Amino acid sequence: MSENRALQRAHILANHILRSPPPLPSNLSLAREVCLQYSPPELSESFGGFDAKEMRRLLDGHNTEDRDWLYGLMMQSNLFNRKERGGKLFVSPDYNQTMEQQREITMRRIWYLLEKGVYRGWLTDSGPEAELRKLALLEVCGIYDHSLSIKLGVHFFLWGNAVKFFGTKRHHEKWLKNTEDYVVKGCFAMTELGHGSNVRGIETVTTYDPRTGEFVINTPCESAQKYWIGGAAKHATHTIVFSQLDINGTNQGVHAFIAQIRDEDGNICPNIRIADCGHKIGLNGVDNGRIWFDNLRIPRENLLNSVADVSPDGEYVSAIKDPDQRFGAFMAPLTSGRVTIASSAIYSAKVGLAIALRYSLSRRAFSVKANGPEVLLLDYPSHQRRLLPLLAKTYAMSFAANDLKMIYVKRTPETNKAIHVVSSGLKAVLTWHNMRTLQECREAVGGQGVKTENLVGQLKGEFDVQTTFEGDNNVLMQQVSKALFAEYVSCKKRNKPFKGLRLEHMNSARPVLPTQLSSSTLRCSQFQKNVFCLRERDLLERFTSEVAQLQGRGESRESSFLVNHELAEDLGKAFTEKAILQTVLDAEAKLPTGSLKDVLGLVRSMYALISIEEDPSFLRYGYLSRDNVGDVRREVSKLCGELRPHALALVTSFGIPDAFLGPIAFNWVEANAWSSV
Amino acid sequence: MASQSQVLVEDKSSVRILTLNRPKQMNALCSNMITRLLQLFLAYEEDPNVKLVILKGQGRAFCAGGDVRPVVGDIVQGKWRLGADFFSDQYSLNYVMATYSKVQISILNGIVMGGGAGVSIHGRFRIATEKTVFAMPETALGLFPDVGASYFLSRLPGFFGEYVGLTGARLDGAEILACGLATHFVPSTRLTALEEDLCRVGSSDPVTFAETILNAYTQHPHLKQHSAYHRLHVIDRCFSRKTVEEIISTLEKEAIEEPNEWISATIRALEKASPSSLKISLRSIREGRYQGVGQCLIREFRMVCHVMKGEISKDLVEGYRAVVIEKDKNPKWEPRGLEEMKDNMVEQYFKRMDEEKGWEDLKLPPRKALPSSIISKL
Repeated sequence: MSENRALQRAHILANHILRSPPPLPSNLSLAREVCLQYSPPELSESFGGFDAKEMRRLLDGHNTEDRDWLYGLMMQSNLFNRKERGGKLFVSPDYNQTMEQQREITMRRIWYLLEKGVYRGWLTDSGPEAELRKLALLEVCGIYDHSLSIKLGVHFFLWGNAVKFFGTKRHHEKWLKNTEDYVVKGCFAMTELGHGSNVRGIETVTTYDPRTGEFVINTPCESAQKYWIGGAAKHATHTIVFSQLDINGTNQGVHAFIAQIRDEDGNICPNIRIADCGHKIGLNGVDNGRIWFDNLRIPRENLLNSVADVSPDGEYVSAIKDPDQRFGAFMAPLTSGRVTIASSAIYSAKVGLAIALRYSLSRRAFSVKANGPEVLLLDYPSHQRRLLPLLAKTYAMSFAANDLKMIYVKRTPETNKAIHVVSSGLKAVLTWHNMRTLQECREAVGGQGVKTENLVGQLKGEFDVQTTFEGDNNVLMQQVSKALFAEYVSCKKRNKPFKGLRLEHMNSARPVLPTQLSSSTLRCSQFQKNVFCLRERDLLERFTSEVAQLQGRGESRESSFLVNHELAEDLGKAFTEKAILQTVLDAEAKLPTGSLKDVLGLVRSMYALISIEEDPSFLRYGYLSRDNVGDVRREVSKLCGELRPHALALVTSFGIPDAFLGPIAFNWVEANAWSSV
Repeated sequence: MASQSQVLVEDKSSVRILTLNRPKQMNALCSNMITRLLQLFLAYEEDPNVKLVILKGQGRAFCAGGDVRPVVGDIVQGKWRLGADFFSDQYSLNYVMATYSKVQISILNGIVMGGGAGVSIHGRFRIATEKTVFAMPETALGLFPDVGASYFLSRLPGFFGEYVGLTGARLDGAEILACGLATHFVPSTRLTALEEDLCRVGSSDPVTFAETILNAYTQHPHLKQHSAYHRLHVIDRCFSRKTVEEIISTLEKEAIEEPNEWISATIRALEKASPSSLKISLRSIREGRYQGVGQCLIREFRMVCHVMKGEISKDLVEGYRAVVIEKDKNPKWEPRGLEEMKDNMVEQYFKRMDEEKGWEDLKLPPRKALPSSIISKL
């Protein structure tokens, strides 16, 4: 057989070289071979399993109709680069435009949405309902284009929220409405060339001049230049400046000020220098800039004074005496950035998976039997194993992102710490997951993935920065572990039960796992919960005891943490993955018995088991045996087969309109036909 | 054989000319005509001798809509389920036309309303003339733009579809050409010659053939000076709003800034229409944007069943009374105002009627070689 094929192949090659038409084998008919035809997966895939519309409501969690309204606004406007491919409408930015063009069109899209009332109440309304609407609409913007959502995010969530949360009445009256109406365009100058995640180390200095009642802001050295400031290079008229506040030679720590950087005509103000950050690997619709301040004078009222103030005669007053706590109070509102990043990462992964899975349900490659039809990509177990676990993870993390949004919009001073920890862990895990998913999707659609119009490849560049901004992922994960450590030590010291940070499970006995793992055990939610709790608990105990040992030998707490970075990393991951699992279980529990609950059960088991399969901690620390992990692997492969029939319905349930996916998600034959060249 | 004479059939070699022939009722589609059309269209699809199907109307209308008189009668007698059969047939016909593998050419020389749009707009070519009057007047009747209108209205430029569907605004031939509801514009005096030329389709590819002929006949009429199409910008600004209330308040703001006859007429139309109709229509068009034509029809069928059953509003019967029977043009809508039509009430219209014994979702006739562009998700 294979010999025959080799001969045949050699023959074809020889003919290529000799440029003569190949002789027709006698057993072939002379009729023209039927060309490959696109067959929409909807025709062959069963859709009877569960109600995709219900699932979509569950996944989006809130404001479904507002989302659809905004999708519609974008699809109906030429500003969003409508184009037809294969008889279908698509909207997606033209990434072939120059950086300058991308920045301008992004700004014009912002004006268009402003005119349609999309941002109504984004700053002037309060309460969970208004916040959820805002978050939903921002997510939709991010599905269209990450640059669009980032440019909005900087203006509303960084500049706007800084004014709202760090400022007081006088700032609110002056700025909030004007920000909502884009009378002013804000940016947020925190990061410097020399200091990013370590905000406390920034070098910009502000002093107070009691003679004129003004603050004077300075960039003392090159490493103090503000860097990556979104909006600064072109459009922003105002900025929040983070700076050390020096009062009569005493450094009072980092404070936030408002400074105007451009006039109404867009000219850069005196005593300000601005340079462009230049072309980037993605997000070129955002005009990131660098800012230097040369003795810039701003009125005393421009200090955002909710935490601390300077009196006209130059005296520093603050209700919070401890500079550490003061800094914490400053940083608390920044959580909103991590909340939106985490959820936008998941929507990006959804776009990637919807495209790759739809393609895998219409593209065939190789025949398994001689002369047999070619096999659909998703019918290869290997292809299922590549995409379906990522699909299950995306589902699970989607619930986690919703849960995070809910605790964020219902936040109270008591929940701030928990939000900080959970949002740090989820931001890191979800953005890493997105990058990995996009890469897998890019490879899974083959060469088509490198075309920007098919999105999956381009999105890698667009979303990459998510692992870095608003806190480097690795730093955030260490913060999770440090917070858990502090909680553990404090509960043990006071001899109190654990309460908060989701450690309550440590009050009960250490769970015992069965030695033999049957299929039904592996899929049992209690078992899955126990495995995840056991891992978190054990890692936390190990981490604290290692740190305590080092401290006992005279090491500082900080350096003890550093030495144990591997454990810290494992612990951060264990904490976050357990939090995710819990949100799926909660969502599942709320559902009535039925097909929706059943399929979600499969998805949840896949999430739990693939997480076990992928984390060496279970073997390294002996929570599971070698036999156990073998069973887990077999079960993952079984689950792939069981999820396969639901694949189309599961990505359809993402609720992303066709127009927001790439042409390869639909009729890629027609989209690439000569007639549409 | 009333049904046969209500749809006249002419055999011209590979062309079939179907004429809706109920001129006194402005060719309103009764259930016999719908069944007959469905039967003919399905047969022609299988018949290798047929290449083009031309659909036109006798008299001054192409088709003024579905004939809902018997349906309203059924509802009044508590037998709305009979009405459901009427709509189920009509929507199936719309679906077959939307997915038709052969070329349908509709000649819209006169009135095209509601169901009339449903039997033409889904087809490949739609010819407007200077006599065309197009409208989707359902919201003034206590119904909503159905027959797949949530599919084609939602695909018009900007938010023109919301405008047309909610206000029932009348469009002329030039306007429906401009917005894409029509594909060509041919003066009515040249229609006979056009038909003759179309009948010469030989062995060539029928789509290319028809397109060539139609392109040769088509004209580019000017939009009248006060055409709504010149106001797309205002329409986009107002009809893109999320709720009917917001649409009206934005229109009112515009009217204060720049008063004109068009905007007052638009506001009046919305104020006169059934509040429940307006709300479900807006939602329906918005959902249509993300759905294939089949899914649109399935949803519209659910909606029309709720409208007929009248659990929330009986505006269809009331609208029919005020507009068609007593002609007092003064319907008493219930709920009376937009604010009384709550979101959860709107929601009801989009649900399956599982509590209704024997009720089933619209079963679309199976189609082979369904073009992918008409398939959507959700």
